[in-house]
Amino acid sequence: MTNAGATAQAIAPRLKLSTQYGLLGALLIAPTVLIFCAVIVYPLVSAIYLSLFSIYTPTLKGSWVGLDNYVALLASGEFWNAFWVNVVWTVGTLVLQVVLGVALALLLHQNIVFRSLARSLILFPYFMSTVVAVLVWRWVFNDLYGILNHAMMWMGLMSVPLDWIGSMPNAMISVILVGAWKYFPFVVISVLARLQTIPDHLYEAATMDGAGWWGRFTDITLPQLREVLFIVILLRAIWDFKEFDLIYLLTGGGPVTATQTLPLLVYKHAFALNEMGGASAVAVLMMLFMLGFMLLYFRYGRATES
Amino acid sequence: MRRFGWSRILFNLLAWAIVFVVSFPLLWTIVTSLKPQTELFLIPPSLLPGEVTFEHYAKLLLETRFLAYFSNSVVVSVATTVLVVAVAVLGAHSLVRFAYPGRERLAQLVLFTYLLPSVVLIIPLYLLLVRMGIANTLFSLVVAYTTFALPFAVWLLRSFMAGIPQDLEAAAMVDGASRMGAFFDVILPQALPGIISTAVFTFILAWNEYLFALVLVNQDSSRTLTTGVITMLVTSFHIEWSMLMAASVMMSVPVIVVFAFLQKHLTRGFGAGAVKG
Repeated sequence: MTNAGATAQAIAPRLKLSTQYGLLGALLIAPTVLIFCAVIVYPLVSAIYLSLFSIYTPTLKGSWVGLDNYVALLASGEFWNAFWVNVVWTVGTLVLQVVLGVALALLLHQNIVFRSLARSLILFPYFMSTVVAVLVWRWVFNDLYGILNHAMMWMGLMSVPLDWIGSMPNAMISVILVGAWKYFPFVVISVLARLQTIPDHLYEAATMDGAGWWGRFTDITLPQLREVLFIVILLRAIWDFKEFDLIYLLTGGGPVTATQTLPLLVYKHAFALNEMGGASAVAVLMMLFMLGFMLLYFRYGRATES
Repeated sequence: MRRFGWSRILFNLLAWAIVFVVSFPLLWTIVTSLKPQTELFLIPPSLLPGEVTFEHYAKLLLETRFLAYFSNSVVVSVATTVLVVAVAVLGAHSLVRFAYPGRERLAQLVLFTYLLPSVVLIIPLYLLLVRMGIANTLFSLVVAYTTFALPFAVWLLRSFMAGIPQDLEAAAMVDGASRMGAFFDVILPQALPGIISTAVFTFILAWNEYLFALVLVNQDSSRTLTTGVITMLVTSFHIEWSMLMAASVMMSVPVIVVFAFLQKHLTRGFGAGAVKG
């Protein structure tokens, strides 16, 4: 370091080396910061500002209404309906994702034949477009020609075809199932990466102490996965809560508003009801819920840690 | 443990049965796309096509705007990836190797924006792009895609680059390299696997994006695959299932190619980047 310091000081003797490096560091991060300000910070601040206006989408003309948008939303049944639908969807799909994800990670950690092909097949849904995933499932769910209805009738599980998307509670179940199918590979990847780092001697010691496979799972695997699951559940909860594509494309929020979550409500306010101010207010409230959840999650996580 | 015992065979069968069930929708897509239109509406459905046909693929490629949407998707995804990765490599290097006030705050801000819902940004972005007169262009999509791709790329690259030993840079500088010289000669080659993974993931994110494409583009000439295929083949009265399944397969080709070549990188890089951070 002394040699490098000497050369650098010879080039620019007036500035201290640490200051020079600090400036270079700032210069390298500058493009990132500028783009962040333009496409994230500015829109974020402006979303909060817009939520205080009433804006008609086709003309983009607006007038100041203060907190009226928020007052109207918090008093409306549709908003709270969307909130609870959002919670049901998030919890339902998240639980399935974690259970399926851990189970399949354990399975794919074993030495099965053609393991890398099996891993690719399992991981693929996560990387495919949501548009494709939803189209495929809509074909599987199709009430007349869908394979699911025919398979279930053939197995004797039901006698008449079910409407999987157009009626309740089927629509909610379908959305949760497709969400679980599309996103559980994220849990698989994360858990699999962690499983590979658990030392074998822990299992050997447990086996010598007479632990069965369930005992080894609860006493060794689960505690080792704790940390990774803590983060995975946080990320997936946030991503599921803000999911738009999957629900919009599968049910469009229907039947009526039975699967209409908050992101769909934002879209509806902005581009169907032509009320951009109200839409921004929904988006801001949604963000506040998510922030609140994150704070609670970290506080609770820390509390159980100690 | 016996290597080829019955329990081992049973376990393998069970494991592959589960894999089959999970990936069944994917196989079903391929099967459906190869069936002639008449076979599609058989009751009960046939599990394997009685006759294999590529007519739906041919029709999509020759008689529809599929290829135009495809090339729009390629342009937007490649442009987003190049822009975002170039900016993020410099940014991540700065966050990992330099000391200046506010650095940790900045790293936290990146994580926060990575978790920000797109629907919060979409209305102001829409207004901004309309006012700048660039709504309905492919460029507007590149701008919009940086909102999620840049935080993602910086975060992922930061964890990759933090894994490169400090000593390497110091050693190069002892040999007389400047800091930027050491960055280009030592850090960049070391970070290359991480950069490739990040580029691949960014490309996939952009390739699959739907919400921004739906809201920002309202004109057929700038539609990407995700919105184009839907407007082309799905109406409220009629859905072209055969073509839709063929389109689904072809839309997934770039993702499959990436998978075939980079499977090892994918699992390793993704697990490390997304979770360890």
